[in-house]
Amino acid sequence: MITIALPKGALLKDSIDLFKKAGLDFSLFLDKSNRQLQITDPTNTAQALLVRAQDVPVYVEYGQAQIGIVGYDVLREKKPKVANLTDLKFGYCRMSVAVPKSSTYRRSQELPPHGKVASKFVNCAEEHFRQLDLPVEIVPLYGSVELGPITGMSEAIVDLVSTGKTLKENGLIEIDVLYESTARLVAHPLSYRLNRDNLDDLVSKLNNLV
Amino acid sequence: MIYQPPAGARDLLPLEVAQKAWINDHIQQVFQKWGYQRIVTSTLELLDTLTAGGAIDPANVIQLRDNSQGTLGLRPEVTASIARAAVTRMAGNTYPQRLCYRANIFRNLTQAHHGGQMEYYQAGVELLFAGGVLADAEMILLLADCLQELGVPNWQILMGQAELTRSLLAIFPQEILPQIHHCIANLDRITLESLALEPQLQQRAFFLFDLRGQPETVLTKVATLDLDVATMNTVNNLKSLVDLIKRSSTHPIPLTLDLSLLQTFDYYTGMVFEAVSFEQNQSYLLGQGGRYDQLLGLYSPQNETAPGIGFSLNIEDIHASLASTNKLPQQVKASDWLVIPETAAAAIAAFDYADKLRNSQPGIRVETELGDRSPEEIRNYAKTCRIENLVWVKPDGTVVKEQKT
Repeated sequence: MITIALPKGALLKDSIDLFKKAGLDFSLFLDKSNRQLQITDPTNTAQALLVRAQDVPVYVEYGQAQIGIVGYDVLREKKPKVANLTDLKFGYCRMSVAVPKSSTYRRSQELPPHGKVASKFVNCAEEHFRQLDLPVEIVPLYGSVELGPITGMSEAIVDLVSTGKTLKENGLIEIDVLYESTARLVAHPLSYRLNRDNLDDLVSKLNNLV
Repeated sequence: MIYQPPAGARDLLPLEVAQKAWINDHIQQVFQKWGYQRIVTSTLELLDTLTAGGAIDPANVIQLRDNSQGTLGLRPEVTASIARAAVTRMAGNTYPQRLCYRANIFRNLTQAHHGGQMEYYQAGVELLFAGGVLADAEMILLLADCLQELGVPNWQILMGQAELTRSLLAIFPQEILPQIHHCIANLDRITLESLALEPQLQQRAFFLFDLRGQPETVLTKVATLDLDVATMNTVNNLKSLVDLIKRSSTHPIPLTLDLSLLQTFDYYTGMVFEAVSFEQNQSYLLGQGGRYDQLLGLYSPQNETAPGIGFSLNIEDIHASLASTNKLPQQVKASDWLVIPETAAAAIAAFDYADKLRNSQPGIRVETELGDRSPEEIRNYAKTCRIENLVWVKPDGTVVKEQKT
């Protein structure tokens, strides 16, 4: 039986809608009273795991799930060894550098050398500033990254922006976009190569729905 | 201070050693049946030797400084060492050379794998100075024979052809080729889609990306392409190989042909393959190998190139894949006899008697009791250690046997 890793959070609803169109109903995961993390669809053809978005590529890389849905931001950050099969086009957001509106910085290059940048996406942030040849100290945070500049801990943040509302309400502005991100269909390379459990059929069904 | 092995290294205790020895012994027996001779090369090599083939990134080698010789490395695989030894030390020997090994190998950890494994055990073969379809077929049949003999459940072979894939990729412009190669090797269809390619070339890229499945189906697909004579030859050889493998084996060999199977960097020049198995959702990479017809030349003092092919089996993955079967020994072997001197004065007689027992039949295991224990403690010890036969020795050499019925 095919196992699918689904991401908790922003991408969950669209992911479940997509699989529903392909004939696999995992909408139980949207039910607030549900506590199960592993369910089988009503037709008994596939099972789904509900995991944190960052953990989707982990389950897929190790083969515990043959396919999964995950944002490009996570793939860029973690560089897992998975097959990148389809851009599913939903879940748009962008990875941006943001600073307090009141600051004078309007480009990444203008940030002070050895300044501090707070981010959940340590690798992406590091890569961005390395390309600019600008030495900065990355401060890893796990949430509410906007507080970094507000409290004065860091000059800037690197974080995901979808509507920009959170930034605005916290007095921050975007000054650079590192890349844009959407949801991706990923697969366990070996399972994909060997077409285990007829993975090809499901993948092409999903491709046709995008 | 607590002394422990470094992260990534570990100790193997007697039961695990017995299980892995069982695996290794079976593999070596098969190698021997096919006429392979065991070779032992050095654990340490010059870093340059290890990386000469271009497939090994120095960052993945555990390096050591030697003041007189420069940088040394712990071998991350055995093929380079055997290639070096064969062309320098065994030059002039009769051809082909069939060599096999069992060895530990070392890989430096990448940052992403916290506490991952650094030391691995492999058993493998190298068939040197032999090219052609028959040598290729011998590798696959030998690999299948090993897996069959071990009783690994549900194994299958994934096969590619590096030379063929390279010539199919040759139609792409040089400046974009590395990217396409990378996308296909790493199964990155999304990036492949985003490359600026003419529609016709993009179609070809997707065609290559999807070129896998039943060998006959894949080969039929490849035959629809407009191929030059050399490539056509490679395709025909691959066809004969698939046919030969199918007909020469007594057991059906589950074979998937995957022409997108390539590494970003490697020294393979022909057939490449992996043996894998799945248990529930756990996948095991049982072994891997391929043909390397340029590698021997790199180590040859006269720059004479010669063909070679080989594979290595991953003992840890094979061990894990056999865990659910009842093939592996579940206990270490118990001693057959415990020889007990009744008094301190009987020590010489006890050693004599133990010696007699040891020589009485091959493979017999005899321990001697070292004293200071009461008969009851000795019997309890024997029971715990599953020793079935006790023998009490008096100073004059007379014995009383106590055997479990």
